[in-house]
Order: sequence, then structure tokens, then C-alpha cells
Amino acid sequence: MEIFLQQLVNGLTIGSIYALVALGYTMVYGVLKLINFAHGDLVALSAYIGLVITMQLVGVFSSRLLIIAVVFVVTAIVISFFGVLLERMAYRPLRRAPRLSAVVSALGASLAIENGIMLIWGPMPRIFPADIIPNINWDLHGVYLSLMQLIVLVVSFVLMVVLYLFVNRTKLGTAMRASAIDQDAARLMGINVDKVIVTTFIIGSALGSVGGLFIGMYYRGIYFNMGWIYGLNAFVAAIIGGIGNIPGAMLGGMLLGIFNAFIAGYLSSSWALALTYVLLIIIMIFRPTGILGERVAEKV
Amino acid sequence: MMENNRKLLYGAFFLALLVMPFVLNSRWESVATTFLIYSAVSLSQDIVLGRAGMFDMGHAIFFGLGAYSTAILNTVYGWPVLLTIPVAVILPLVFGILLAAPIVHLRGDYLLVTTIGFNIVFTQALKNNVLGLTGGPNGIFGIAPIKIFGISLASQTAIYYLAFGLLILTLVIIRNLETSKIGRALHYINEDSLASECIGINTRFYRLYAFGLSAAIAGLAGVVFAVQFSAVSPEAFDFMQSVLFFTIVLVGGPSSIEGVLLGTFFMFVVPEMFRQFAEARYLVFGIAMILIMIWRPRGIWPARFGRIPKYFFKEQ
Repeated sequence: MEIFLQQLVNGLTIGSIYALVALGYTMVYGVLKLINFAHGDLVALSAYIGLVITMQLVGVFSSRLLIIAVVFVVTAIVISFFGVLLERMAYRPLRRAPRLSAVVSALGASLAIENGIMLIWGPMPRIFPADIIPNINWDLHGVYLSLMQLIVLVVSFVLMVVLYLFVNRTKLGTAMRASAIDQDAARLMGINVDKVIVTTFIIGSALGSVGGLFIGMYYRGIYFNMGWIYGLNAFVAAIIGGIGNIPGAMLGGMLLGIFNAFIAGYLSSSWALALTYVLLIIIMIFRPTGILGERVAEKV
Repeated sequence: MMENNRKLLYGAFFLALLVMPFVLNSRWESVATTFLIYSAVSLSQDIVLGRAGMFDMGHAIFFGLGAYSTAILNTVYGWPVLLTIPVAVILPLVFGILLAAPIVHLRGDYLLVTTIGFNIVFTQALKNNVLGLTGGPNGIFGIAPIKIFGISLASQTAIYYLAFGLLILTLVIIRNLETSKIGRALHYINEDSLASECIGINTRFYRLYAFGLSAAIAGLAGVVFAVQFSAVSPEAFDFMQSVLFFTIVLVGGPSSIEGVLLGTFFMFVVPEMFRQFAEARYLVFGIAMILIMIWRPRGIWPARFGRIPKYFFKEQ
């Protein structure tokens, strides 16, 4: 029972991170119908940028809370900028092109970012300093919860609630949903679809950057090509929940995180990756629209 | 006139390939051999991706199945490589049909993601030494060369010509496919699957046919690949490799033979040329992929179909 609860806590933590990254995939897919393969690499980039800023700030500010706040905000701004740049350079010129051309463009962007990271920071893994988040553990009847895990859970939850309210309660969020259903009709209703797409990339990248920083602080080791594997896992999470569906990405992320943690806890970790994709294949065969169903209009 | 130019171009291309081994040094001969093998795999990928219009991003599975069949049968059971060829062709064919059967009806992106999933499961199985046969992360070493009538085709040049023969065979198969009923059916399914279903084309059958055929060709290419390096390892058939074949087809030009050959050259040989720049080349390369897609969204050498007047096409 204790293993079960412990793995549940671990799974929810990693699941929150997957969910944050998955939101970026699902939102872009919703609006552009494009698998943004470069998103995972933006997540990796955010971990590196976060590390650089942290190292710069450690001597300057004495307050740890201030350092963490500045790191998160600055990284989110930088990565959002990269996200907008990506949309501008790699995706916008291809909006009327065949769909697969945009996929190749996304793969090219992913390759460029990944190798850009390697050129700047080198191929060896980098390690986040241990003491950014104080190493505090609570023992809840045999189940350990660290401060880091608590922060991940709380921040992710707050961000998701804010995103949910934004998409469902604000004018821009409504425009976003309208653009996802039918871009041309949305344009006819006076919605500035370009602006909506840029907003989508800003929000998706910012959420991804939080995910990337959490990966850095939680696992501490970061490497230049980690974007692929975290990106793919998050993308699987988005699909499990139903691609284009925002609550679906959150649910999918949590389920995938818990699934991974239980496999690592009860079975072997060398099959964890394979079993994740077996799960994906099973879902694709029996319920291709995901658990909550996709919110993407099917075009025949 | 056009047709004559084309014949001349192909003639020159094959002649150039024939004399290649006498011009190139050892390293470049090896690159050229791999180019021929990758061309064959990319052409087979094109049957599914370009001609049938199914977003398959797991083609390295079938390439790998062929290579591993030869490797295992040769090193563990001691079969001569020549005898392993039927197995290395039929096994991927069967797998291609079995894997595709439950998913061919899926919409583009879903198919893409599922095939990625298959590929990752495949590589993980190889790495975890499934059935104790695949040799784990290091793969299998010491695959014997092909022997025909007691003559061992072990030299680099012999393997080059073997790969050359593989490419010619692939081109003949694809040329026949293009002008056959099946090729036309695939083309129609790609253009409009609903309409093709309505006029009585069994879309499911032809889609599975495309998967089976392309898997079989990729499997055969896998045999030559295994023989060239006399070793196989999981990395050669992982998901990134599938991405490479996928990109080759789209960068070159889907369902265009010239395009796919050019694509293979651009995506495989060009990076080899800039090897001295080590890591930097892939940064430039990624940007080049974006630029090519912006300038030529239908590939470097797009396919042209017959003499269809321009006004029949919607401007893309």
C-alpha cells in the first residue's frame, strides 16, 4: 500500500509536468492541426536558459524565493519569444501548403533547436544546483512528499485552472476555441486568427517553459536532446486525453505520469518506455479520439 | 521531347552509379553504398507515404526486421545469407500487414503517432534483448558475406554493386506499380479516399497492399544493409531513422522517383560531406529543411502526372 501511495505521488508529480508540456501540443494542434515537433525542444531549451539565469542570480539576490520567481518569469518570456519566432519563421509561411510540409518544417525546427543547444552548452549533461528549492521532505505515514513535489503539484494545478478560465471565460479564449473549430468562419466573424495563433504559441511555450524548469529542478540532470523524449511522452499524453482538448491534455498527462510511475515501481523501468507506447497503440486502435474525445472538427 | 530528356537523365545517372566505385575512395564508396540502400528504403517509404498518402513514421521497423532476420538466422542458426533473404522479405511483409491492419483507417496524424509508437516499441524490444536473440543494445556482429556459387561477395565494391542491384530492382518494382491498376488505385485513394471508395475501390485492401509491398522492399534493403556493415544495432532502426526516411520523401518530392533520390542525396550524402563541421551541420541542416519546405512545399523535385492542363488544379 505504501509503495502504491508513494508511486501515486511520484506519478502525479511527473504527470503534472507532462500535462504542462502536453498543453502546448494540444493547443497548437487545436488551432493549426499541426504536430509541433519543436515544442519538446523548446522545453529542453527552457531548462538550459533557466539554469543560466539561476547561476547568474545566485550571487546577486539573497532571497531564494526572489531568485525562483525571476527565473520562472524570465524563462517564460524568453521561451514565449522563441515560440512566436518559431511560428513566424517555420509555420506561418506554410499555412496554405500541404500539411506534411509543415510537419517537415517542424522536424527541421526541432533539429535546429536541439543542435543549437548542443553547440552552445555542449553535448554533456548539465546539472541543476541542488539547493534552489530547499530539500525538505514530509513523512506522511510512510509516504514521502518533498517540497519540490508540492511546488510542482500546486503550481501546475494553479496554472491549469488559470488556463481553463482563460480559454472558457475570456474573449480571447473564446476566439481561440472558435479558431480551433473553423478558422475561416472565425475570420468571417471578425476574429484576428493570426493574433489567436500567436497567443496560442505564447501560452503554449510559457507553460512548456514551466514544465522544462520543473524537469530541471526535479530531476536535476538536463541534456540537449531530452526534448525528444519528454516531448514525445507529453504528446502521447495529449493524445490519450484527446488532442485539441485542453482538459484532456491535463487528464492525459496525469494518467500517463501515474502509469509510468507504477510501471517503474512494480515492473521494470527498462520496459517503461515500450509499455507507454503499447498503451498509446491500444488507445489509438480502440478509441482514437482519446479519453475525453477530441475537440477538433473532422474534415472529410 | 520530355520523355527523351528523362531517358537521357536516367541513362547518365545509372552510368554515373556504375563507374562510382572506380572513382571514389574507400570512405566515399561506403557512403555511396549506404546511399543506394537508403534510396531503396526511401522509395519503399514513398509507396506508403507519397503514393498511398498514409503518414507512416515507423518505416525503419521493416528495414530493421529485414536486417535482424538476416543477422539472427546467419549468426545464431548458421544459415547462409542468401537463404535468409526470403525470410527477411516475408517477415517484414507479414508484419507490415499485421501492424497496419488495425490502423489503416485512422486519420493522418493518428496514423503517424501510432507508427511512431510501433517504432519505439520495436527498438525497445531490440534493446531489451527480446527472446534472447537480438543481442541487446550492442546488436549483433559478424554477419557473413553473401556467397554465390562459392564466390564470396565480401569486397566493398561487390557490396556496392549488390546495393546497386537492389536500387534497380526497387525502381523496376515502382515503375511497374506506377503504370499498374494498383498504382492508379493508390493515387486515387491519396487524392480522395471517400470518392475512390464510392466508385468501388477497396481502399482497405490497397492500403494494406501498399504497406505490405513497401515493408517487403525495406526488408530486402535491410539484408544488404546488414551485409554492408556485417553488423546490426538498434540505433540503426530507431525512430530517428524513420524520421529520416519520412523527411527524405517529403523534402525530395512525394511520389516522384527523381525527387526521392534527390531527397536521399540531400538528407544523407550532404551531411556526410560536411562531416568536419561535426555538430554545427545539423543546426544549418534543420534550418535548410524549413527553407526548402517554404520555397518548395511539394518537394525539391515534385511529381508530375501526365499532361493534365493546369486549370484542373486548385492553386495550393
